[in-house]
Amino acid sequence: MMKETTTQRRQVVRESLFKRHENLTVLSIFVGFVVIIVILQLIMTGGQRFPTFISPVNLLNILQQVGVPGIVAVGMTIVMISGGIDLSVGMLASLVSIVTALGISKWHYGVGPSILLGIGSAVVLETAMGYIISRTKVEPFIVTLGGMITFQGIALLLCNSREVIMNGELNFLKINLIAGAKDPLSHLNLIIPPYDLLFFAIAFLAGLLLNYTKYGRWIYAVGTNPHAAYLAGINVQNMKLSVYVIMGILVGIGGVTLLARVNTGIITLGQGLEIDSIAMVVIGGTALKGGKGNIVGTLIGVFFLGSIGNAMNMLRLPSEVQFVAKGLVVIIAVSAGDVSTKISGFLSRRKELRLGAAQSPVGQRG
Amino acid sequence: MSEILQLRNISKTFPGVLALQNIAFDLNEGEVHCLCGENGAGKSTLIKILSGAYQPDEGGEIVVDGRKVVLNPHLAMQMGIQTIYQEHTVFENLNIVENIFTGSEIVKRGVLQKNEMRKQTVGVLKYLKSELNPDRKMGELSSGEQKTVEIAKGLVFKRRVIILDEPTASFSSVEIENLLDIIQTIKNSGLGIIYISHHLEEVFKIADRVTVLRDGRKVSMYNLEGLTKTTLIKDMVGRDPSTFYRRERVAIGEVVFEARNVTGNGAKDISFVVRRGEILGIAGMAGSGRSELMNVLFGSARLDSGEILIHGKLVKHSSPRASIKNKMCFITEDRQNTGLFLPQTIAQNVTIANLVNTREFVVRQTDDFRIGDKFVKLLNIKTKDSRTRVINLSGGNQQKVVLAKWFNTNGEIFIFDEPTLGIDVGSKQEIYKVMVDLLKQGKSIIMVSSDMPEVISMSDRVIIMKNGQQMAELTTDEVSEENILTYSIGDKAI
Repeated sequence: MMKETTTQRRQVVRESLFKRHENLTVLSIFVGFVVIIVILQLIMTGGQRFPTFISPVNLLNILQQVGVPGIVAVGMTIVMISGGIDLSVGMLASLVSIVTALGISKWHYGVGPSILLGIGSAVVLETAMGYIISRTKVEPFIVTLGGMITFQGIALLLCNSREVIMNGELNFLKINLIAGAKDPLSHLNLIIPPYDLLFFAIAFLAGLLLNYTKYGRWIYAVGTNPHAAYLAGINVQNMKLSVYVIMGILVGIGGVTLLARVNTGIITLGQGLEIDSIAMVVIGGTALKGGKGNIVGTLIGVFFLGSIGNAMNMLRLPSEVQFVAKGLVVIIAVSAGDVSTKISGFLSRRKELRLGAAQSPVGQRG
Repeated sequence: MSEILQLRNISKTFPGVLALQNIAFDLNEGEVHCLCGENGAGKSTLIKILSGAYQPDEGGEIVVDGRKVVLNPHLAMQMGIQTIYQEHTVFENLNIVENIFTGSEIVKRGVLQKNEMRKQTVGVLKYLKSELNPDRKMGELSSGEQKTVEIAKGLVFKRRVIILDEPTASFSSVEIENLLDIIQTIKNSGLGIIYISHHLEEVFKIADRVTVLRDGRKVSMYNLEGLTKTTLIKDMVGRDPSTFYRRERVAIGEVVFEARNVTGNGAKDISFVVRRGEILGIAGMAGSGRSELMNVLFGSARLDSGEILIHGKLVKHSSPRASIKNKMCFITEDRQNTGLFLPQTIAQNVTIANLVNTREFVVRQTDDFRIGDKFVKLLNIKTKDSRTRVINLSGGNQQKVVLAKWFNTNGEIFIFDEPTLGIDVGSKQEIYKVMVDLLKQGKSIIMVSSDMPEVISMSDRVIIMKNGQQMAELTTDEVSEENILTYSIGDKAI
C-alpha cells in the first residue's frame, strides 16, 4: 500500500510544477518582484542599511492598506468563480460609509445599530442586483455598472453631496492590538488593527467555504457550466443570487472599516475599490469566465497589488509610475501562465527535433 | 434539360469509418433531386463534399458544367453551389439585406451601395412571393422565414445549385407548404435543387428523382413516377442483423415510471410505462422531439399538461433536483455542454450530482478522489486516476465519466439520450454492457437513439416519435428496422 502511494507521487512530480500548483506562477512572479525591489534598495543605499521595503513596520503598513480591498477581493473571488462580476463595490462601500456616518452623527441611532444599518443596506442593494442577475439574462457587468451609478446617486442624495464628519465613534475599530511593540530597526511603532485580523479570518472562512463545502462545489459547478449544473440538481438561480448576498456583507464590512479609518463618511472613500479588487482577483488566477480560481491566489494578488505603490515610494519614484507598474503587473500575471505553457511547448518541440536529428542517418549530416 | 453537376465514384474515409463508398450522383437544371436514407447513411457527408467542406478520397471526380473540379467552400460558391445547412448560419443582429450581402457587398469607390443591395433583395423576395420586409433583423424571423432569406441569397447571386439539408426540421405546417412553393418557383427558373428530408410526404410532393443511401452506399435511384413509399423504405432498411450487438435479456418486473399524456416543450400527448429491468427505446428521426420530451420527463423543461408517475406516485413539482431525489438520471445527448464540467477533474464531475442527496454540508477532497478512483476502475476509464481533468479524455471515456456521475447518485430510472453518439466501437460495446448490468441490478432505462442497430438490439419495446407526437409503440416481436422507419418517416400512425 505504501509502495503504491510513493510511485503515484513520483508520477505526479514529473508533471510540470506550474501546472500542478495553480498559484505557483503568480507566487514566483511576486517573489521575483520583492527580490528585485530589495536588490534595488540595497544598491541605492550601497548595502549599508536593511532594505526598508521588507522591514516589519513597512510590511504591517502594507497589510493595513490592503485590509479593505482584501476583504472585498475575497467576495469578488466568490462572485467571479460563479461566473459573475461586481463593478458596484466601490460606490457601495462609499454609500455604506455615508449611511453609517449619518446613522451615528445625524440620526443618533447609536454605533451598533448604525453599523448594522450600513452593512444591511449593502446586503439589500447587492441582493437586489443579484436577484436581477439570477432571474434575467442581463449581463452581471451591465447590472452592476448600473448599480454603481445608482448607488453613487443614492449616497450623494443622502449626504446632500457633503461629507459626514464623526467624532471618532468608530475608533475602536482601529485600535492597535500590539500597542507598545517597536520595530527593532527603525524603532517606529508597529500597528495591527482589528480589521487586519478580520481580513484574514474572512479569507480563511471563504477558503473553507470554497474548498470543503457543498456550497463551494456548487459555486465552481455553476461557474464552469451552468446548464450541466442545473441538470445535476443545483439551483443555479439561487446560487447566483447567494454570491451577491455574500458580497453585500463583505462590502458592508469594508465600508464601515474605511469609515473608521478616516472618521468621515464621504463619496470618494470607496473610489477605485472595484478596480483594485478585480485586479487583485485576476492576478490571483481567477478566470473572468468563471469556474476557476481560489482564495490563496487572491491573497497573493492582494499583497502583490498592495505592495506595488509602497515599493514605488521606497524607490522614491513619482507616484504616477505606480499606475503603470500596477497595470503591467495585471497583464504580466494573467498572461504568464499562458506564456510559460507556450515556452515549455516550444522547448520540448525543439528537444524532440534535436533527438530526431541525432537519430537520423549519418549520411544526412555530412 | 442539361446536366449541371455530376459526381463519379465518390468515396470518403474517416479514421476507422468508411462514410461513403463509390457514390455516383447527378443533378440537372430545373430539377429537384432528393437524397433519402436513415440517420448516418452518409447524406451529410455527401453534401459536405459538394459544398467543398470535405475532399473526396482518391479516385472520386466532381464535374460541374462538364469541367472536372476540386472544390473548396469558396470555389463551390463561385461555381454556383450554395448549401443551406440544417442549423442556421445567420447574423441575428443584421437585417435581411445585410445578411444576404455580408461578405460580398456591392461597393463603389469604397462606399456601400445600400440602395442597390436593397433593390436586389426586394426584387428577389418579390419573385419568391415573400412579404418579408428587408429591413427586419434576421433574429426576429421564424426559422421558415430565415430559410426563405437564405434561398433568396442564392437567387441574388445567381447560384445554379441549391442544397437544402433538412430544411423543415423546425417548421410549422404552413411554413413547410410555403417552402415547397418557393422550391417549385426556383426550380422553374432553371436551378438545380438537392433536397434532403426525413419527411417522405415532402419528398413525394417536390422530387423529380430520388436517390437512396444506406451505410454510405448508393442503393437505388428512382424517377418519382410510379414510386411508392414502401419501395423507398425497403431500400433504406436492410442491414444485416447478425452484425448487431446481442444483449442479454433480463427478467422484467413491475412498472416504475409512467408518463400520462405528457405535453410540453414540443412533445404532444405522450403516454408510456417503463418497467423494472427493461429498456424502452425512443426512436424517430432527428428533430422529432425526443430530446425535448426527455427534458420534460427529467424536469428540466416545463410540463404543460399530463402526469408523470414514479413508482405509482404522482410527481408534483418537477425539477432536475426533484428528479435526482426521485432516483432519476439523465445522460444527455450533448455531453460536453450539458453533462460535463470539462475543466474540472474526474472526481469533481463524478461527485457533483449526488450532493443533492447527501446531508453533510462539509465535503472532503479525499472522499471525492476515493469515489472518483473507484469509478475509474469500475468503468475502465483510461487514465491514471480521478485527478485527471475531463477535458483531456477521449469521447468514450468522457461518456463513462457522465455515467459515473449518475451511478454515484444511486439512481434507478436512467434516461440515456444518444448513449453512444460520437464514440468509438470499443467504448460502444462497453457502454452497452454497462447498460445491461444496470438492468440486472433491477434498474430501468429509457433510451433515445438515432442509431438504428442500437435501438433494435438494445430495446425491449420501442416508441416512435414524429413531430413531437407518439406514432406507435412496438413490442419486442414487432421491433424491426422496417417498422421503425415506416412510423418515423411515413404518415402512418397507431
